[in-house]
Amino acid sequence: MKNESFGKKILSFIGNNSVPILFVLICIVCIPISGFSASYLINEIVTRMGRNIFLILCLLIPIMAGMGLNFGMTLGAMAAELALILVSDWQIWGIPGVVLAMILSIPFSIVLGTLCGKILNMAKGREMITSYIISFFMNGVYQLVVLYMMGPIIPIKHANVKLPRGYGIRNSVDLIHMRQCLDNLLAVRIKGVKIPVLTFIIIALLCLFIVWFRRTKLGQDMRAVGQDMDVARDAGINVERTRIISIVMSTVLAGFGMVIYLQNMGNIATYSSHSQIGMFCIAALLVGGASVDKASIGNVFLGVILFHTMFIVAPKAGAMITGDSMIGEYFRVFVSYAVITLSLILYETKKRKNKSMVGQQLAQAQKDEEAGKA
Amino acid sequence: MNKTRRLLFRLGTLLVLLAIAAWMMVIGRGHTVYFDNKKLEYEGTTYDPPYKVTIYVGGEQAAKLNAKERGMATAIGQDFEMELKIMEVKGGDETRETYQIKLPRNLDGIVVNLPGFLAGLPEEAWMSEFVPMVTQETVEEEVPAGDEFGMEDIGDF
Amino acid sequence: MNETLSDIHNETLRDRIKAMVAALGLPRLIIAGFLLLLFIAAPFVGADFWTQISNTINRFSWNAVMVLAMVPMIHSGCGLNFGLPLGIISGLLGATLSIELGFTGPLSFVMAILIATPFALVLGAVYGWLLNKIKGGEMMIATYVGFSSVSFMCMMWLLLPYHSPTMVWGLSGKGLRTTISLEGFYDKVLANILQINIGKLSIPTGTLLFFALLAFLMWAFLHTKTGTAMTAVGSNPTFARAAGVNVDKMRLLSVIMSTWLAAIGILVYEQGFGFIQLYMAPFYMALPAVSAILIGGASVNKATIGHVILGTFLFQGIVTMTPTVMNSAIHMDMSEVIRVVASQGMILYALTRKTEVTK
Repeated sequence: MKNESFGKKILSFIGNNSVPILFVLICIVCIPISGFSASYLINEIVTRMGRNIFLILCLLIPIMAGMGLNFGMTLGAMAAELALILVSDWQIWGIPGVVLAMILSIPFSIVLGTLCGKILNMAKGREMITSYIISFFMNGVYQLVVLYMMGPIIPIKHANVKLPRGYGIRNSVDLIHMRQCLDNLLAVRIKGVKIPVLTFIIIALLCLFIVWFRRTKLGQDMRAVGQDMDVARDAGINVERTRIISIVMSTVLAGFGMVIYLQNMGNIATYSSHSQIGMFCIAALLVGGASVDKASIGNVFLGVILFHTMFIVAPKAGAMITGDSMIGEYFRVFVSYAVITLSLILYETKKRKNKSMVGQQLAQAQKDEEAGKA
Repeated sequence: MNKTRRLLFRLGTLLVLLAIAAWMMVIGRGHTVYFDNKKLEYEGTTYDPPYKVTIYVGGEQAAKLNAKERGMATAIGQDFEMELKIMEVKGGDETRETYQIKLPRNLDGIVVNLPGFLAGLPEEAWMSEFVPMVTQETVEEEVPAGDEFGMEDIGDF
Repeated sequence: MNETLSDIHNETLRDRIKAMVAALGLPRLIIAGFLLLLFIAAPFVGADFWTQISNTINRFSWNAVMVLAMVPMIHSGCGLNFGLPLGIISGLLGATLSIELGFTGPLSFVMAILIATPFALVLGAVYGWLLNKIKGGEMMIATYVGFSSVSFMCMMWLLLPYHSPTMVWGLSGKGLRTTISLEGFYDKVLANILQINIGKLSIPTGTLLFFALLAFLMWAFLHTKTGTAMTAVGSNPTFARAAGVNVDKMRLLSVIMSTWLAAIGILVYEQGFGFIQLYMAPFYMALPAVSAILIGGASVNKATIGHVILGTFLFQGIVTMTPTVMNSAIHMDMSEVIRVVASQGMILYALTRKTEVTK
């Protein structure tokens, strides 16, 4: 009897955590095949944790407010890139440059986030596809600003930032004087593994903030809105405003995250750095066991480790197995998309199941009532 | 009451952020400092360069210059401190000394003429703006043509 | 007296304009006005009018079938088919297999369609079954089904045992190339049928006729009993269910039709373009088709053949006209930005309209 329930528990554990378990299996198979040394692998993963976790954490707030995966985090990334381009042109270097870029990204993020929030309020029930299209739309606007307005309207002085034709920004902007300045300050080396302590402290602060925020009035409101908008509205919560705030917060945090990400990379790919970032962050979060309506900080950390381990080893493992390195590259892209697809499907089926269950319960209750009357 | 407090709080945050931003603009300004160990003529006097100068910035060797050579270092902020190890003649004794220069905020590249600087001349004699050579780029950098929808393919992550 | 009369007249005119704006939607008007402006400006900036018209018609003929593929799913209430790449992949499989099996000339086009069909039917059926499981969340999942299938096929194009020397990489002798020339196969097979050339104006009559045939069949289908049932499912599923229509079956049928049309659509596109594009090329192909039909006047749950024709024409007009006209007018190629902003803005606009949520 006890054994059976234990077995059931294991089964339900596997059922609830199928994506992370699948990824653990992929990693277990691919790591030995890829032949990377442990220290190399750990070094890479630690670097990528520092680089990505902040960005992924920004996704938690809209999930809390029931707005699903915020594909609009790309807007925050664009805000950060605008800020970094300006800071780089003003020649502000090092940590002050990073801090300035973060501050400068805030107004951009707030404007973009408010816009995004307002549009999403008009498209309730299909927030995800809408935020996804918003990211494309804003990418067009971003190109308009960066490619045509920077130079003639927004002054850009330095030739290493500006295109030779006199307006527009180069395909790649060098952040050499900012490169890894956050990561290197207070960095600790343990057996050849560089640990960017300061970056991790910043991440820890954000985690604490999120934990604290969940308990505030606003955080509670957000959760209420996420549970049921109508109930929340009846309870006197300004649903629209709460939703906009959650998107604005997410966008601002995404901007900070992107600054951290880019200072680690050391250069901005002006027209492509932001385009895939949303997809990769979302995939990593989902790999960590999160779903569209529920995600925790633990999911973020687990997701980053698993997803990026797969990301590092897949091309090499693919090359070892098939003799073609491109296979692995395509494989990891496929896996990213497949994970998102799978999670979306699981979420929607669960939602429908719950709905029909609620319906059945209601019908049953009604029947009982009628029976009682009779 | 609550509203005014909230407004004040917001204004305060805004001001703090602006203050931090302004402060960062000042202390984070990056400069490239070029050292010229070259002969300088100023008001009729000629200042000859020492045989060899080694420049240390922030404890690390930034440049080792023989006469007629130029070296460079980067600096963040306007207070620039350097240590010079000077060998006046070949095989002679070396002297080490720390110097401080106030860098002008508006210049990206600053050329410091060492003989003039060491002779204690006024600032305009040994400090000048570094004007980068205009490199004619004949090949127009490719503006992203992009695929159908302006979002690039999967980039490396 | 006179004044009040003119006031009333003004009022009605303003109301009429307001009603028109409301009916067409502001973004649609802006886009149509912009295209009109482009056509007017074209001769002044030295762009040849007839060449522009020819290009627009040409591009229209390449893309119209893929836009037509949007219609069935919109009718059955499945929303915009962001999963178009799935159908495109069936078409690509048909195209590559037809060449691999050694067919050449016009026959290769017919064979490509024949081979693509079973793939489209099977993939469409699976896709439709999936979409029936997740009613209400179709569009997001459709997008990602498309992406997953494209990235999955990226691996397959490398791994599948293709051998035809025109298609595989020359050096290694395996793995398909990213672009495959259709010369000697079905390059312009439809376009060359009855092609009309008057001066600089050239019209690919065959392709247009092919599209007209498919569009007519679609129109006829929508007027059959099954077709009206499908529309009923889209506009009012509860009513349709009460009337004894099998909702899931209708939706499944619409998805299969859409997928098959996408497969045909990419083949038509290829015969006009002259190349097969593999790997990441189909990735974002859903977006132009989606925005085209929306520009034409469709909404998330309503679309007609007229919307397809008008929308494709407007969209392709902007795509072809902006680069040349803008370039010669202000010496700045802003076409890319304009295209992205206009088409994505259109999709956003449609998504934010209030529609009856299908349950």
